Amino acid sequence: MVASNVLAKPVRAFGGFYSMALDTFVGMFQPPFAWREFISQAWFVARVSIVPTLLLTIPYTVLLTFIETILLSEIGAADFSGTGAALGTVRQIGPIVTVLVVAGAGATAMCADLGARTIREELDALRVMGVNPIHALVVPRVLAATVVSLALSATVILVGLSGAYFFVVYIQNVSPGAFAAGLTLIIGATDVIIALVKAALFGLSAGLIACYKGISVRGGPAGVGNAVNETVVFTFMALFAINIVATAVAIQITL
Amino acid sequence: MTISRPHSQFPWLKARFRSVADPWNHIGMQTKFYGRTLRYMHYGLIHYRVELIRIIAQMGLGAGALIIIGGTVAIVGFLTVTTGALVAVQGYSDFSELGVEALTGFVSAYFNVRLIAPATTAIALSATIGAGATAQLGAMRINEEIDALEVMGIRSIAFLASTRVIAGFLVVIPLYCVGVLMAFWAARFGTTVIYGQSTGVYDHYFRTFLNPTDLMWSFGQCIALAVVIMLVHTYYGFTARGGPAGVGEAVGRAVRTSLIVSAFVLVMLSLAVYGQSGNFNLAG
Repeated sequence: MVASNVLAKPVRAFGGFYSMALDTFVGMFQPPFAWREFISQAWFVARVSIVPTLLLTIPYTVLLTFIETILLSEIGAADFSGTGAALGTVRQIGPIVTVLVVAGAGATAMCADLGARTIREELDALRVMGVNPIHALVVPRVLAATVVSLALSATVILVGLSGAYFFVVYIQNVSPGAFAAGLTLIIGATDVIIALVKAALFGLSAGLIACYKGISVRGGPAGVGNAVNETVVFTFMALFAINIVATAVAIQITL
Repeated sequence: MTISRPHSQFPWLKARFRSVADPWNHIGMQTKFYGRTLRYMHYGLIHYRVELIRIIAQMGLGAGALIIIGGTVAIVGFLTVTTGALVAVQGYSDFSELGVEALTGFVSAYFNVRLIAPATTAIALSATIGAGATAQLGAMRINEEIDALEVMGIRSIAFLASTRVIAGFLVVIPLYCVGVLMAFWAARFGTTVIYGQSTGVYDHYFRTFLNPTDLMWSFGQCIALAVVIMLVHTYYGFTARGGPAGVGEAVGRAVRTSLIVSAFVLVMLSLAVYGQSGNFNLAG
């Protein structure tokens, strides 16, 4: 009996997650859309994410361009450091930093909020009053996470490229014109669109995982803490897995 | 009803001063906590050895639902497998545009060691053992267990925070080894098995450019990152307040802060280690 429980628990969690995800997708197209909740959530996620985004983008792009420029100047191609910076920022760092911030800042706060409501039985109260919590709480949150990640990834790319520019030009002494000219050598509009699509996918899955973990909390304050911890772990794992698949698909499209 | 209270002198000026001084004081308190945690490390090592071993076991395996999916080791392994595979996917396709896809092995040896393995391990550590520590300590603070420890005469910082920092320091050693091996393996598997490059070509460039000194530095970076991440996470857990939602918020704030701090530490260490010259020779 114990063994069957150990096996059944993760399977049941998967099933619960998928059923909630399906309910959410259906709920997105059912008329009374919770605009007010959507706007306040989008504003909330954007507010908690913007400063960490900027602070996380700058070191990662600086590190990447630093390592890349070492390599490029070794083969006498330091003028192409702009190409390297664009490649790294648009293709990988942009979407990944967005993920880290949306998962680390937005999703955790969402999960903590929903989890606290769950253990105070507010969701049950909503159900009693005939309000569907998926419709009233989950749909706006998932959409807010998606929209904000889309907006954030654009910010990340802009800030990352500016940071790389200052670092490469003023510290590693590459000429600014060569840096700017190299930016669009490999990376074009298609890559930017793919980066935005990736970021939207990441936001969607982070929102879904956070909401599922939030509404299935059990066991008091320690339960909320654990749920938030699991949200972070599962979102990071899901996002890295999505990233590799999305990158492979994107390469098939662009080549 | 009106409440009469003494008129405050220069209210605007005082409010401005407070808005500058409060964050500054907060930084001071945080620094004091870190200093005390580090200072009590030997105390934790000598007096709370049983607790230390318990925490190490718990961190290695993970807590709650994380055990079911294989614990911390499996999560770190999984994240580094995906980033290693990313090297194969991205590196191979970009290099084959230039016709030098033979150099994918070099990308694995260079970027995995210098950038991807430390960064991914930092992210994984902060998500798993870091966030777990904040959640635990936060729940203890909310349930007033930390106050109970103090009343019983146990040094709470040494007992809870210092032991966790030591445990993080010890746990990261095997975790980093698993992570970096997984990243190498995934990059090799992706390039040779999936994209069909011959293993001889891959291994030649991989071995030529794999610099053992760089690998040691990357290992050192990971250990430093683990200590910093555990310090940040224990602080936010230790100072959690505001009921169940407060614990969750503390976890979120801790993850955010530790990601930023670890990124800055990584950049600073990389600049310090590799310097202006880069410690890299392509031509041998």
